[in-house]
Amino acid sequence: MNLILASTGSYPRIGDSAELQVLRRTIAAADRGECTPAELAEAEQEMTRRAIAEQLEAGLELLTDGQIRWYDPISHLAGKLAGVKIDGLLRFFDTNFYFRQPVLTARPQRTRPLLTLEYRFASDALAALVAARPTDGTPAMKAVLTGPYTLAKFSLVETDAMGALETRALAYAEALAAEIAALVEAGAEFIQVDEPAIVKYPHDWEVFARALQVLTAVRRQASGKPWTLALHVYFHDPTPLYEKLIALPVDVVGLDFTYNPRLVEVVASVGSPVPLALGLVDARNTKLENPEELARQIERMLPRIRGGPCYLCPSAGLEYLPRDRAFAKLALLKRVRQAIRH
Amino acid sequence: MSREKLEALGVHLPLFPTTSVGSFPKPDYLVRARADFSKGKITQQQLEALERQATQFWIEKQEELGVDVLVDGEQYRGDMVAYFAERMPGFTRGGLVRSYGNRYYHKPIITGEVRWPGPMTVGWWRFAQSLTRKPVKGMLTGPYTVMDWSFNEYYPDRKSTCMALAAAIRREVEALIEAGCKIIQIDEPALSVRPEELPVAIEAMQRVTEGLPAYFITHACYGAFEYIYPEMLRMPVDNFDLEMSNSDLDLLELFRRYPFSKDISFGVVDVHTHVLEDPETVRQRLARALSILPKERIWVDPDCGLKTRTVEEAIGKLTLCVEAARAFRNTAG
Repeated sequence: MNLILASTGSYPRIGDSAELQVLRRTIAAADRGECTPAELAEAEQEMTRRAIAEQLEAGLELLTDGQIRWYDPISHLAGKLAGVKIDGLLRFFDTNFYFRQPVLTARPQRTRPLLTLEYRFASDALAALVAARPTDGTPAMKAVLTGPYTLAKFSLVETDAMGALETRALAYAEALAAEIAALVEAGAEFIQVDEPAIVKYPHDWEVFARALQVLTAVRRQASGKPWTLALHVYFHDPTPLYEKLIALPVDVVGLDFTYNPRLVEVVASVGSPVPLALGLVDARNTKLENPEELARQIERMLPRIRGGPCYLCPSAGLEYLPRDRAFAKLALLKRVRQAIRH
Repeated sequence: MSREKLEALGVHLPLFPTTSVGSFPKPDYLVRARADFSKGKITQQQLEALERQATQFWIEKQEELGVDVLVDGEQYRGDMVAYFAERMPGFTRGGLVRSYGNRYYHKPIITGEVRWPGPMTVGWWRFAQSLTRKPVKGMLTGPYTVMDWSFNEYYPDRKSTCMALAAAIRREVEALIEAGCKIIQIDEPALSVRPEELPVAIEAMQRVTEGLPAYFITHACYGAFEYIYPEMLRMPVDNFDLEMSNSDLDLLELFRRYPFSKDISFGVVDVHTHVLEDPETVRQRLARALSILPKERIWVDPDCGLKTRTVEEAIGKLTLCVEAARAFRNTAG
C-alpha cells in the first residue's frame, strides 16, 4: 500500500486525567518560581514521550514529537533567534488559539539550535518505545518547522531594515536553512515545513517561493545524507493554488482538504508529479469521519499521484482537539487505509 | 446618536464613560471553592453563596473606584462559551484544549439541536443590579463566537449552527430586557477569524438584537480587523468594545482612513501583562484616541476581561482607566 500514516505536527499536551496535566501544573509552578528548570524539562519530556507513544499505538508510521514544548507555532522558533523579541497575543488564523507575535529589532539570526535538541530527544524516545514494544515496520520521527514566509508574515518590525516582507522572509529562511542542515546532521530524514499563511495570502506568492528556495538550497549544501522535504499548508482552501503548490521544488506537498470538498476532484483531475500528504481527517472538529467515504476519495486520487508513496494525515496539528478525540482521529487513519480497495 | 438612545432608555452617562469588558479575577477563596465543588466537597448552594460574595465584592469595588457602567464580574462563570454551553440543551462538554500558552478550556461539542433553556444570566444580573444604582451590563457571548468556539457534530454547516444559536441567544436578550437591563454586551471575539463569514456574524447579530429596546455593545479582540474593517461597522450594535492597547493602537490608522461610525469602548490598558501601565502611557493612549474619534463616542475600559490578572492587578488596571477618563473629562468637557 503506497500510503504512509503520518502525524501533521502538534498533539494535545494535556488530557483530562491528573497525570496528563503534569505539564500544565509544572509550568504554572515555574511561573510562580516554585519548580526548577530540570523539573520543567522532565514534565515536557514526559508529555513528549506520551505523545509519541499514543501515535505509535494508533499505528502511525511517520511521527512527530507532538510539539509539546511549543508555546505556539510562531514564537517557539522566532523567539530563539537573535534580533527578535516576543510581544502580544494574536489569534492564530481562524482558530481560537493565540500566539505571541515576534518583533524584529534587527535581522533575525540563528545563534543556537532551535529544534535539534528536541528532535534528538524525540528520536531517541521513539527508538526506546519501539525497542520496548516492537511494531510492524520502522516508524520514523520527522521534524516540523514553521516556514520563513509565515514567520515573516506574522512578525512586527522595529527596524527599517526589516520593513519589507521579502527581506524578513529571506532572513528567516537563512536562519531556518541552518537549522534544517543541523537537523539533517542530527539524523532527521524527513523535514516538514509549514506555511499556512500562503494559502490565506496568495498575493504574497513570489515572496513565499523565494524564501522556500533558500530552504531547498540546503539540499545541495548538506552533507549528502538523503532527506525528504515536505511543505504543508492548512487553515484555508488550497484549491486556487493547487497547481502552483505541486510545481514547487519540494518532495511532498501536504494539503488541508477540510475547507473545500472540491479539492478531491481537483487532485483526481489534475494529478500531481509529487507525492501528497492527504489531510483528509479534520483536525479541527471532533466529529469522526466515515472511513469508507474517505477511502473512496483516496481511491480516486491515488492513481493520479506520481513520485512515490503518499501520506495520510490529519488536516493540521491535533492540539486543537481534546486528547481522546485527537487519538481517535489518528486511529481512524488506519481504518481508512484498511478500507481502501485495491 | 447612541448617546441619545441611552438617554431615551433612561441611562445618563458622563463623557468618557468607564466600564470593563466583563470578567474579573476570582478571589482565592472562590478559586478554592470551585475546585472543592468539582471534587464534590461542597454543595452547589455553598459555592453559589461564595460566588455572590465575590460578585458583591466586585460591585462594591467598581462603585468605590467610580466606574460608570458596571459588570457582575462573571464570578459564577468559567469560560465565556462553556458557561452557556453547559446550560443549553444540544451541547456536550468536551475535553480540554489550549487557548494560549498554558491556558486551557473545555471546548463544547454540539451534539443535538440547540435550545434556550430559560434564563441563564438574568438571576445574576438582577443580583448585581440590586447592589448598585449604576447601570450593570447584561453579559452574553454572541452566536458566531459560540459556534466558532464549539465543535459541531450536529448541524450541517457553520451558518445553520450560528443561526440556531442566534435564535436561542435572542431569547436570553429578551429575558434580560424584561428584567430591566438597558445595556447588553454580546461578545464576539471570534468576529474576524474568517473574514468571508462576516455577513454570517452580522446576520446572526441582527437576529439577536433586531427591534429590541436596549443599547447593544459587542466586544472583539486579538483579531485581524484590517480584513473586516469598515464592513464590520454593519454589525447591528451601538458600541464596539475593542482591544486596542495590546496591538499598540494599530486600529486607529484604520479609523483614520475610514471613520469609525459607532460608539467605541476603547481598551486603554493591556490585560495580558502583569505590568501595570504608568498613568502617562494610558493618558497618551486616550489622547491618541481623541485625535481620531469624537469625544462623545469614546468609552474607556481595559482591552479585554481581567480574569487572568490578580485581584490587585485588576483593580490597578481599572483604576488607571477611571483616572484617565476623569482627567480627560476635566479638560475635554
